[in-house]
Amino acid sequence: MSFFLGLILFVVVAGIIDAKLPWPRPGRRPEPRP
Amino acid sequence: MIAGHFALAAGVKARERAVPLWALMLATQWLDVVFVPLFIAKIETIDVIGGGGYGGGIIHADYTHSLVGAMVLSALFGLCGGLRWGRRAAGILGGVAFSHWILDLLVHRHDMPIWPGAPAGALRVGLGLWRWPLVTAAVELALVLWGGFTYFRAAVGVARAHGPSKLRRARIAGATVIVAGLLTLGLSVAGQ
Repeated sequence: MSFFLGLILFVVVAGIIDAKLPWPRPGRRPEPRP
Repeated sequence: MIAGHFALAAGVKARERAVPLWALMLATQWLDVVFVPLFIAKIETIDVIGGGGYGGGIIHADYTHSLVGAMVLSALFGLCGGLRWGRRAAGILGGVAFSHWILDLLVHRHDMPIWPGAPAGALRVGLGLWRWPLVTAAVELALVLWGGFTYFRAAVGVARAHGPSKLRRARIAGATVIVAGLLTLGLSVAGQ
């Protein structure tokens, strides 16, 4: 149960919220950190 | 170990910011995701010992959790990620997928073979931390806290320059990862 709950919470819920954050795009050179 | 794998992926996200979190989370559990249909088909099995519960099992997962099997599955996951997000992401996702085997090596009870389909007497590895459930839970809790707060800090950091709406979403994302980790660990320790 914890395995499937983990998949739903981390892959789906956290993944969807995280995808709306302004992370750098894959394949691009990372910006220097402040 | 379940929550610890997710926590490691959260920690990696804080450093490798271009790789999507969901892909890292899927990568870190990839071996277990493949294990599920094989378990249902009774190709891979679990022998319950000591009443079962947290870490109470000898796991016969010779295809998904053998060293060579894990390397092949991790390479496949990395290749799929690489096709979509490039070479660096391929290496990161493949590495995170294989980290599952490394963390499992710490806890498994000498049940992980080197080759898929190894005969009964073949070498099997696993340092057996599950024999001490409280120690294992403490290690996993430390991983959950490290991964969760490292991710939280990175998410808030990257959102800070983009206004209050992004900052709020970053805090929600960070809190979700921390709460999900604690919840998953709690259920896991409770034997669910």
